[in-house]
Amino acid sequence: MRDRSALGPAAESSDGASGGPARVLVVLYAIFTLAAGARATVQLSTRFADAPVAYLLSALAAVVYLVATIGLVRGGRAGRRTALVAITVELVGVLVVGTLSLVDPAAFPDETVWSGYGRGYVYVPLVLPVLGLLVLLRRRAGDREG
Amino acid sequence: MQTSLVVALTVVAGVVTLLGIASTLARRQIGLAHLAGAGVLEALLVVQAVVAAVAMAGGDTPADTPTFLGYLVGALLIPVAGVLWSRTEPTRWAGTVLAVAAAAVGVMVWRLLQLWEATGA
Repeated sequence: MRDRSALGPAAESSDGASGGPARVLVVLYAIFTLAAGARATVQLSTRFADAPVAYLLSALAAVVYLVATIGLVRGGRAGRRTALVAITVELVGVLVVGTLSLVDPAAFPDETVWSGYGRGYVYVPLVLPVLGLLVLLRRRAGDREG
Repeated sequence: MQTSLVVALTVVAGVVTLLGIASTLARRQIGLAHLAGAGVLEALLVVQAVVAAVAMAGGDTPADTPTFLGYLVGALLIPVAGVLWSRTEPTRWAGTVLAVAAAAVGVMVWRLLQLWEATGA
């Protein structure tokens, strides 16, 4: 039966090897790699001396997002382990930088992606690692059963 | 850069986001409605880029030009990448992939407007 619904043909089950919810994570991480990377490039190349710590943190965030994206795209056991490490670093980063930026605003004269727990990015940087860990750990539990 | 264009972009981006979520909830892949919505979104983004380019050629540049250009070009790429990617996704999450891309565009255009209004001139 050919399905002509404007909403699209019926979906396949998402129990497959890759794709599914992990694909959504990849998109989110790709967008944040782009956002943090572009921001860090502009900040470091045009006004590094103004706030070196904040700008280096932007660059670090971009690298962490990039590693997580690559790990998620590659998939498999090694890819997921890479992503798990990157996302854990990300969660620690957003919590530490978020707290520091509120406790000691003077140390962060300019915004980073992780300032104020990612308030400049509608708190997505705070929610993203939690979602990431949930998806990855759930899949890992599935591997063990299978 | 006009606020009316940004509002129109936000509305279209919102519609595409809702369509994407709807197909995920309905356990469907993406269909014609999504492609049409993403096409309109991309067309509006091209109009916006042309308007901005013409204004900048006329000497009306935002204070933070590199960041502005980054957002302008980034916003152009995201719907294309989102559609290509969600078309290769056979599960119901295809719609969510597109929804995330469209929502990102909806936020980016407001940031663009903000950057534009912080004009040096």
